[in-house]
Amino acid sequence: MAEEDAIFDPTLKKKKKKKKTTFDIDAALAAEGNADTDGAPTNAAESEPKEEDQDDGNVDIDLDFTKKKKKKKKPFNAEDLDAALNDSKEDGGGEGGNQEDGAADDNFDLDLLDFSKSKKKKKKKKDLDELMAETEEKAEDKENVDENSTLWVGSDRDYTYDELLNRAFEIMRDKNPDMAAGKKQKFVMRPPQVVKIGAKKTSFANFTEICKMLHRQPKHLLDFLLAELGTSGSVDGNSQLIIKGRFQQKQIENVLRRYIKEYVTCHTCRSPDTILQKDTRLFFLQCETCGSRCSVASIKSGFQAVTSKRAAIRAKTA
Amino acid sequence: MSIQNLNTFDPFADASKGADDDVQDGLVHIRIQQRNGRKTLTTVQGLSSEYDLKKIVRACKKEFACNGTVIDHPEYGEVLQLQGDQRENICQWLTKAGLAKPDQLKVHGF
Repeated sequence: MAEEDAIFDPTLKKKKKKKKTTFDIDAALAAEGNADTDGAPTNAAESEPKEEDQDDGNVDIDLDFTKKKKKKKKPFNAEDLDAALNDSKEDGGGEGGNQEDGAADDNFDLDLLDFSKSKKKKKKKKDLDELMAETEEKAEDKENVDENSTLWVGSDRDYTYDELLNRAFEIMRDKNPDMAAGKKQKFVMRPPQVVKIGAKKTSFANFTEICKMLHRQPKHLLDFLLAELGTSGSVDGNSQLIIKGRFQQKQIENVLRRYIKEYVTCHTCRSPDTILQKDTRLFFLQCETCGSRCSVASIKSGFQAVTSKRAAIRAKTA
Repeated sequence: MSIQNLNTFDPFADASKGADDDVQDGLVHIRIQQRNGRKTLTTVQGLSSEYDLKKIVRACKKEFACNGTVIDHPEYGEVLQLQGDQRENICQWLTKAGLAKPDQLKVHGF
């Protein structure tokens, strides 16, 4: 058993990564189904080592898949991908703790869709992580459970629910690797082109292009951006967005990422294939993949402090 | 050696426990606004009116070494306004002081 552990250790780590890429609710349901059917524990225990070996192979293959796919769409190199994976793992660990795996996975998605600049983001996230130190501990607990997932194979102690669930997921991923590898990688987005105009304005050059990619009305995204950034701005003749204030590309990326999380990806299955409809003043997000329909928050800019010269405002209104 | 699936789970556990000492309800919106140059403002909207915002702002000013004020807005109620980018500071401080839970904080801006 000890030897086996030694062999499995690296694979287990990899599995953890992969797990986050593929957790979704359908899968969870299916997993529960699997868990039910795999009822007989003795058989399972005997067949386990073999499956493990297969699994090992598959994991590598899966990772290759993802790399290839990314390369097709974007000139990514492997290091970037690894960095992104590591990052997202940490992010997931930090933030996902309080909202179950689903949320962690969500973060991961958004990282995948990221604009290939994960390294800088890391620092910021870290600070936030400190805030959520408690939740992180929780997440670590969870990871420990993951590592123990197959420990009961040799021993005669009873298995826990989590272990069985993990096993079911592993088997499921073995049987259909395309489900695990594909799907999420569609999400790669082109980075926003942000250029400074003079000292006080910023241009978001491919704004309409990004709206088209997300299948959203430019006005909706515009409202969101301006409300989040707390400024004013407009679309000019060359279909670029001019925002008042100085913003960097990564700042815009952050806001876009939040927009996508809230208004583009389906809240149930996280597919980006959704339609935003307005129905009696409320916005509804209709998913084309799973057919779910849920309302999303309306865009409110909230309190805006006075930042310009008060005398100038008074002169304008009076 | 107990069967975990058969553990009793009380679905009303947090309902019976909840809303006891929790004054803060609803989201606290933390926003940032750019001023001239590199200067920024942080606004905190949605803190419960049961809290004494003046005391909070006094504590924050001391803690973050910045100036700040409470603004009474007809629509949004009392809004905290701090100078500089205090978003992370205020998040940490609010959770540490137990005024709001991390999931009640909503940080806007870049």
